[in-house]
Amino acid sequence: MKPSLIIDHSFGEAYAKRLGVAPWRGNLPGPKLEEWRFTPLRSLAKIAFTPATDDVSVDAVPRAVPLIAGAVRLVLVNGAYRKDLSSADPGKGVELSHGKVAAKDGSSLVALNAAYAPSSLALHVAGAAKKIVHIVSISAAGSEPTALHPRITVTAEAGSSVTLVESHVGLPGETYFSNPVASITVGEGATVRRYVSVDEDSAAFHLATSLVKVAGGGTYEAFHLGLGGALTRQEIRVALTGENANVRLNGAYALSGASHHDFTTVMDHIVPNCASSQVFKGVVDGESHGVYQGRIHVARDAQKTDARQVHKALFLARGPAIDCKPELEIYADDVQCAHGAATGEIDPDHLFYLAARGIDAETARSLLVEGFLADAVNEISAEPVREQFAADIARWLKARQ
Amino acid sequence: MALLEIKNLHASVAGKEILKGITLALEPGEVHAIMGPNGTGKSTLSNVIAGREGYEVTKGEVYLDGKDVLDMAADERARAGIFLAFQYPVEIPGVTTSAFLKTALNAKRRAAGQPEIDAMDFLKLVKAKTAVLGMPYDMIKRPLNVGFSGGEKKRAEVLQMTMLEPRVAILDETDSGLDIDALKVVSEGVNSLRSPERAFLVITHYQRLLDYIVPDHVHVLANGRIAASGGKELALELEAEGYAKYLNTAA
Repeated sequence: MKPSLIIDHSFGEAYAKRLGVAPWRGNLPGPKLEEWRFTPLRSLAKIAFTPATDDVSVDAVPRAVPLIAGAVRLVLVNGAYRKDLSSADPGKGVELSHGKVAAKDGSSLVALNAAYAPSSLALHVAGAAKKIVHIVSISAAGSEPTALHPRITVTAEAGSSVTLVESHVGLPGETYFSNPVASITVGEGATVRRYVSVDEDSAAFHLATSLVKVAGGGTYEAFHLGLGGALTRQEIRVALTGENANVRLNGAYALSGASHHDFTTVMDHIVPNCASSQVFKGVVDGESHGVYQGRIHVARDAQKTDARQVHKALFLARGPAIDCKPELEIYADDVQCAHGAATGEIDPDHLFYLAARGIDAETARSLLVEGFLADAVNEISAEPVREQFAADIARWLKARQ
Repeated sequence: MALLEIKNLHASVAGKEILKGITLALEPGEVHAIMGPNGTGKSTLSNVIAGREGYEVTKGEVYLDGKDVLDMAADERARAGIFLAFQYPVEIPGVTTSAFLKTALNAKRRAAGQPEIDAMDFLKLVKAKTAVLGMPYDMIKRPLNVGFSGGEKKRAEVLQMTMLEPRVAILDETDSGLDIDALKVVSEGVNSLRSPERAFLVITHYQRLLDYIVPDHVHVLANGRIAASGGKELALELEAEGYAKYLNTAA
């Protein structure tokens, strides 16, 4: 038995049998793995999950899922594509297909996803996609704790462009574990904008992996929002594989209660003349726990790399905890790399200033929190999405009061 | 009844008594200037009236329209009509001037039982007020006070004052950090708000500001007390002779 892995889990023979597929032989990552040190999966491993089945009837997209102006909707329920809930046409420039997920090397969660994903929702982008593509992943547990493994594949051809929004939400009921994997390939000179919102049920687990490859001259702009769930991790691994690739990876989280949220990013600069920037901001309340681990790897050949990363967190109470770990591994000698990290509380001088203008303490705090997160949210270049995410944060703040 | 009445006000900061018995009455329509050397309690007085935390009132009373001000939290005082124009307005990144102004205005309207202001009406109002103050309208899209010059910050304070229409406005060293042109603009903004229903407490170190905002009464604050009171000519006398004689008397 390897001490670094949790082997006491429910994804073996019995789970596979219910799906009628070959069992996964892997293990969940354990706390002795450096990348999982701050996000132990003990509570997850204690639950006996069953595969998501068709017996849960979902006949509408939850109202909480925003309607994004001018977007087409593609809906997954428990990882399976639901044509009846989706827009008829994904819009010019985007082709949809569904296929078996190929088992790939990668983390154990990716392998778990590959073993049990019903199929992949694959988007093929050629030319400039006219409409925003809004993917809604709905988790619906039945009467038993349920696990689901959504899989999304996006291939943007050379010179193409597309804007994607992902909403990950759950229906009330038993707890669930969503294990989504997104594979994104940005072709030469292509532009992919991807905006992910994770707002799961307060008892739910969400461990997402994004595997992104950006070819020469390609642009990948992403924003990840984390608002809920008992335990959420958004792991984003980006490889810049061609010169002059440009990546802007940003995110924000707002946690209350006992929520745990982990952003783990790996920015892999393999070739020269690429740029990456990351702005992550979080607010923590209650007894919540926020994690940011950001690794920047610059290979020996990746000269003239410009890589930046910043994480800032704001405490709204004395109970929460933040773990922040920037890691710079730089093997090239002519690069510009910078990282910054800061945590703090709301400035009493700011509160007094707002109070002196008649603004009550709760409203003042909300205004200041929104302002704090705005740096990151304002990085979203698609305006309707930026407004929507700002509104989602405002809603979180209102619910907190 | 005076609009703002301060009776024998004593206040301490961290156990040290700064205000040692201030008595003042501002009638509606009046402008009172408080002058004095640094470190005599001018800013303490403005902060205590506005309700900043960290100041302990050990004795005395403050009334606005007969209502006990010291019983209210800072935001309640502001909604009741007390406005403090800050000596050093804070920079608040991420919060646009426009969102801030609208929130403040609506807080006041709600307290007065009025509906929230319509978005279009709000923009119209801001447009009109910024034009009067010679401010670019686009300024309201910028984060509050962030990267504003000293003059812009003070103008923004006056803009807030004109939008919130307070009963009593306290100007805490509004002239500090202003060049003469900015001083004129800010003073004109303040003068345009003078009205028979409103009173001003203008706190300043220098007489210069009072050339533009002409006071009805001038008080000298020294060692936590009002050492002398007079008309506007007292300011000129102080400019010529300095504060030395008041400090000596008080000591």
